[in-house]
Amino acid sequence: MRKSLNKNKIFDLLVYIISFIFFLTLIILISGIFIQTSFVLFIKELKDAGLWNSIFLSFKLSFIVISINTIIGIPIAYVLSFKRSGVSFFLDLISTFPLTTSPLVIGFAVLITMGSLNPVGRFLMDRGIKFVFTPQGIVLVQLIISFPFFVNIVKTSFDSVNRKMIDLSKTLGASSFDVLFRIIIPLSYNGIIAGLAMSWSRSIGEYAATQMVSGVIPRITETAPIEVFVKTSYGNYPAAIAISGILMIISLFSLGVFKYFSYRTKTTNS
Amino acid sequence: MNILEIKNIRKSFSNKNVLNGIDLEIKNGEISSIFGYSGEGKSTVLKIVSGILKQDSGDIILKSKNINNLEPYERLTPLVMDEPLLFPHMTVLENISFGLKLSNHRKKLLNSPKEILELLGITGLEKRYPSEISMGQAQRVSLARALIINPDILLMDEPFSNLDIISKIKVRKLIKDINRELKVSMLLVTHDIEDVINLSDKMFVLNDGKVQDSGHPSEVLKKPSTIDTAFLLGTENIFDGTILGIDENNNIIKVGIKTQDLKLGNEEKTGAAKNTAAAIEADFQGQGRLEKGEHVFAAIRPEEIMILREDRRASKPVRENRFSGKIVSKVFTSRMMEILIRTEENLEFKILIPFHAFEVMNLFEGKTVEVSLKKSSVHIIKKKKSSHSS
Repeated sequence: MRKSLNKNKIFDLLVYIISFIFFLTLIILISGIFIQTSFVLFIKELKDAGLWNSIFLSFKLSFIVISINTIIGIPIAYVLSFKRSGVSFFLDLISTFPLTTSPLVIGFAVLITMGSLNPVGRFLMDRGIKFVFTPQGIVLVQLIISFPFFVNIVKTSFDSVNRKMIDLSKTLGASSFDVLFRIIIPLSYNGIIAGLAMSWSRSIGEYAATQMVSGVIPRITETAPIEVFVKTSYGNYPAAIAISGILMIISLFSLGVFKYFSYRTKTTNS
Repeated sequence: MNILEIKNIRKSFSNKNVLNGIDLEIKNGEISSIFGYSGEGKSTVLKIVSGILKQDSGDIILKSKNINNLEPYERLTPLVMDEPLLFPHMTVLENISFGLKLSNHRKKLLNSPKEILELLGITGLEKRYPSEISMGQAQRVSLARALIINPDILLMDEPFSNLDIISKIKVRKLIKDINRELKVSMLLVTHDIEDVINLSDKMFVLNDGKVQDSGHPSEVLKKPSTIDTAFLLGTENIFDGTILGIDENNNIIKVGIKTQDLKLGNEEKTGAAKNTAAAIEADFQGQGRLEKGEHVFAAIRPEEIMILREDRRASKPVRENRFSGKIVSKVFTSRMMEILIRTEENLEFKILIPFHAFEVMNLFEGKTVEVSLKKSSVHIIKKKKSSHSS
């Protein structure tokens, strides 16, 4: 009897019970929407063209977002990881800021700044560049919200590249360009893919900030998460459930990609 | 011709002076070594030469050209470090060809990758990845990768410190061969005196951020110019003394020595320095300027002291500086027998002799023997303003 009261066993038991309860609750909550509606209705909604329009729009915009992320995120991650100074602290602070700010606030800020009453917005509008109620506005807010994910993951990945190896490669004739493209990026593929997966799923599921600048124009600015809200407010639950289901599968998939590559980053660098 | 000149280089890190005005001159085609304790800034010198670090002041002259403002990739000064640091995502061949592929490479190539592989004895590994080869092989690949760009000077930072003894000896020989065959100038940094003796044509002793001694390793080893260098090089049998007389005509300097051996830590054991216990003679030539009455150190290396054989008549050199003493202890070291002898004057000499000599002479602890300190092997070190005391 004594043995079964071993403290370590009690500890294990507690840890497993708490994890299991949490896991079960989450499954029940999420799967709830799938058993709410009939399968026939669900399938019928999946055939609706409007639904797919919104999903394709989401895909299209989020791919633009992650493309821009790659172009601006890699240099920012490079600066944060390799050019440490007093300035990089503030750069880190600013680029991570959207992570801790309400997306609604970010959307609102963009709406105000790009609006016709603001000098910046007016300047751009005078030149025919509109960010309010346009797809490019959505790209802008989603970029702001998703790029901290990309930059942070890529920076962590850059951090694990051996500095002595980089110094050595410079003495072999490698310029900074060579170092970035031949060493740092190839050694950070896993981190970059993980970062892209993470920022992509963040961008495709973004609702609050997108809603602020989208204006909910069907086929033009009505992304999948907005469509969920719109359908719910009409009382069309089967349609909302169908889109939600697809969104969930997308995020589960990209999370799988992220986890797979971030595990690989850890094992290849150790 | 000097391939590399380092002039009055200074460098400090967050207020700690690491290099206080280093001067080095390295001849074309030679292997030079920088020797010193860990943390003395030896690696910093290499980083400055290769351009990874910028000096606070001073000049780096490579092939008579000042390269202070060149970026690392514009110099031809590749580094080989204590770890191979191969690019893990490239095969051995890709690693070696790394420097070749870079567009800004300026010079005609020394060798094709194939020839380099052959030279370094790593043919057959081309398609393997760094994780699939041994440490010794990886270090050779690292060497090949540096050599292929036809360096003006190859910089090596403790390249053997992570190798097992067998690989170490092999790679050392390899470096010597490469230097001979390809006439590549090399600058080696090490804390292992064996590396210095085995490889270099010239050594620099770095201590307290300055080059304290330089010259051919055997010269520096036999005749260190300062007591600090002597300690650094592991010189034993150092005695505190005074010049009693100088006889230029007969090439003799007489030194009165005290019983205290200055080897670190012995002060406590033997107490304060005692009065002159004995006089020994040294060659006058090659000792530098000395004056009668001057306080000096007299040093003799343990392998230079002879134990006299009872069955043979003493030849001329063995008649110099003779002492009689008891064997106090004997220790097996990896290559030699280390014997401690205490003389009647209470002087202690450490002596290294080959195992066979130890047996032939029938030596044992407690035995009384005659020893001779060859006059030409006694080295006199001038005392500096501040004498060594710690």
